[in-house]
Amino acid sequence: MSMHVTIRKRIVSADRQFALDIDFDSDSRRIALFGPSGAGKSLTLRAIAGLLAPDSGRIVLNGRTLFDSEAGIDVRPQERRVAYLFQDYALFPHLTVAQNVAFGHSRGWRNPSRVALPPQAVRWIDAFGLRDIVSQYPAQISGGQKQRVALARALVAQPDIVLLDEPFSALDPALRTRMRQELRALQESLDVPMVVISHDPKDVEVLGDHVLEIRDGHIHGGGRGSRHPPVYAPQPAHAL
Amino acid sequence: MTAFPRLAACTALTLGLLAAPPVFAADLVVSAAASLTNAFKTLAGQYERAHPDTKVVLNFGASDVLMQQIVKGAPADVFASADQDAMNRAEAGKVVQPASRKDFAANQVVLVVPADSPLGIGTLRDLTRAEVKRVAYGNPSSVPVGRYTKGALEAEHLWDAVAAKGVPAQNVRQCLDYVARGEVDAGFVFATDAAIMPDKVKVAVRVPSRTPVTYPIAITAQTKQAAQADSFVQYVLSPQGQAVLSRYGFQKP
Amino acid sequence: MDAIWTPLLLSLKVAGWATLLNAVLGVAAAYGIARWRSAARDVVDAILTLPLVLPPTVLGYYLLVLVGRRGVFGAWLESIGITLVFTWQGAVLASTVVAFPLVLKSARAAFEGVDHQLENAARVLGVSEAGIFFRVTLPLALRGILAGVLLAFARALGEFGATLMIAGNLPGRTQTLSVAIYEAVQAGDDNTANLLVLVTSVTCVVLLVVAGRLVPPVARGVGDLYERRHFRRGPAQR
Repeated sequence: MSMHVTIRKRIVSADRQFALDIDFDSDSRRIALFGPSGAGKSLTLRAIAGLLAPDSGRIVLNGRTLFDSEAGIDVRPQERRVAYLFQDYALFPHLTVAQNVAFGHSRGWRNPSRVALPPQAVRWIDAFGLRDIVSQYPAQISGGQKQRVALARALVAQPDIVLLDEPFSALDPALRTRMRQELRALQESLDVPMVVISHDPKDVEVLGDHVLEIRDGHIHGGGRGSRHPPVYAPQPAHAL
Repeated sequence: MTAFPRLAACTALTLGLLAAPPVFAADLVVSAAASLTNAFKTLAGQYERAHPDTKVVLNFGASDVLMQQIVKGAPADVFASADQDAMNRAEAGKVVQPASRKDFAANQVVLVVPADSPLGIGTLRDLTRAEVKRVAYGNPSSVPVGRYTKGALEAEHLWDAVAAKGVPAQNVRQCLDYVARGEVDAGFVFATDAAIMPDKVKVAVRVPSRTPVTYPIAITAQTKQAAQADSFVQYVLSPQGQAVLSRYGFQKP
Repeated sequence: MDAIWTPLLLSLKVAGWATLLNAVLGVAAAYGIARWRSAARDVVDAILTLPLVLPPTVLGYYLLVLVGRRGVFGAWLESIGITLVFTWQGAVLASTVVAFPLVLKSARAAFEGVDHQLENAARVLGVSEAGIFFRVTLPLALRGILAGVLLAFARALGEFGATLMIAGNLPGRTQTLSVAIYEAVQAGDDNTANLLVLVTSVTCVVLLVVAGRLVPPVARGVGDLYERRHFRRGPAQR
């Protein structure tokens, strides 16, 4: 797996400006983006997924160019085969769990049926233990279940890479620990590369091989395995 | 502008708009048939110049509708109708003073066509031709000119054929408007109405009417200004009033 | 009871067609405006909402200017055999124009209320833009859209001013319920007027109740809705 990401984007809103200037390469299958809120982690992920158009830059995944401002290439998100797990899961509230999971499988204008499930969907529903709640709606299931549904939905589409935006932020500590281990196990068994965003150092430790620290829209440092810089080192007051 | 001056200005404007308009010593409300629109506007203007303390408020519409309004309590002082039928019903409803009832004008029903009409209509029977697709007339149930029309067509056994392609109008002026705009191929109006738009409509047939087309005028029963109302009626009947009417094409009753 | 049935059926026919047209046109326009990123879109929205604030007779007049026999498009329409003045199709045109802003405003608000993240989620899952519209955006906006369509139907059913101007009052052809009531009152026929008013009111109520049943229910979680037990508010006073 190889990934090259160069993103430059200026975001101007009514009261503030934000400059994103990201540049990194990685051949790790377990990348973690780490940094405080507002650092630009989500924006980076969105750019990789194709939901945000950089002003300039290049994004290449496994030799496939997804974005290149100089060559005029901008692949639509529909075609990038990049899975994105949103922070609040973004489950479709008007569809059942089964329909959510099978959503990416049908590409037409009709939603998947409530009863007849394609084999890929069945595989992931069973893998995540969602059989009991297949006919329920997202409003009726718990946070942990929602996360598993979101993950199953993303994996049914057989993506080249999975991007997870603060996957555990809405869960309680006990559940976090459990989900963290589950995700780790998934990473091993699945062999699908993952990029995880978190501001929790524990997440980064367990889920990241290649850790990139982002601050104020830039990569501040990075490292492999146990050689990455101490995470969550308190900043001296004057640097904030 | 700070808040207070703005608020003060708005309040002043609102109060100014709500303030009552100047009230004349006597507001005389005259409900008159639609065909009298132009004649009565001129007449009222002359009357006001002769009686500066009176303002004449004119209300035009189909005679039956005006009669209904008065029956339901509308504050009219004088009622001028385009046919005897509407006035008869007003009398039956006891909303006019029978002693004050007088005929003040006469008119003629005509068939008009759009000024540029290529259809060459010269008789009432021509209306049954296939090229004549739509014919307008006042709604007989509520418009005098419609009743005269129906009477005239029934006399020639043409009513059913014409009604099949009929477009009922709310009053005679709407009928005229339909013809002027070319929405219909022909329409029945009064000669006085046709005379208002010589460039848009032309008279095709002078329609003989079974009943004489005479206009009665009367003072309403619930008027609070009987003296002024009577004064206005007398003016309409006077040589000056009659001169105005004849200028607009009305005949003597 | 032909005096009742004919105007009733005509009113339902005219209002039905007008609402159908508005459902399609209004939703399409609302979606376009909701997605359009330009300062001009508010101007376009305001122009399309004009029929809501203009008096119906003014609208009727504008329609006549456009489609009357001597109107801007009238001559061309006549040449291809389409007559709108004094026909029920003209009544449909009047009702459509008058009720259009009701669908437009409701649908636009409904579309703008759909969470963008959900549309983005569908995008990364590989669904086409059209697929996203029919599978995510439209179902989630449906309640708001239906509310607007219902309002539009009620408005079309009661349309009078513009209809009278362009379609006239031709019994059996363009005399809708509202116009029939007007004529009955003008002719002093209070009995017919009362009956027509009663029929109109009952029809509207029945239709609104039936339509309310058709709106899809919202899936709620356990404990999502605020509910109280009817105990005392606080400790008992001595």
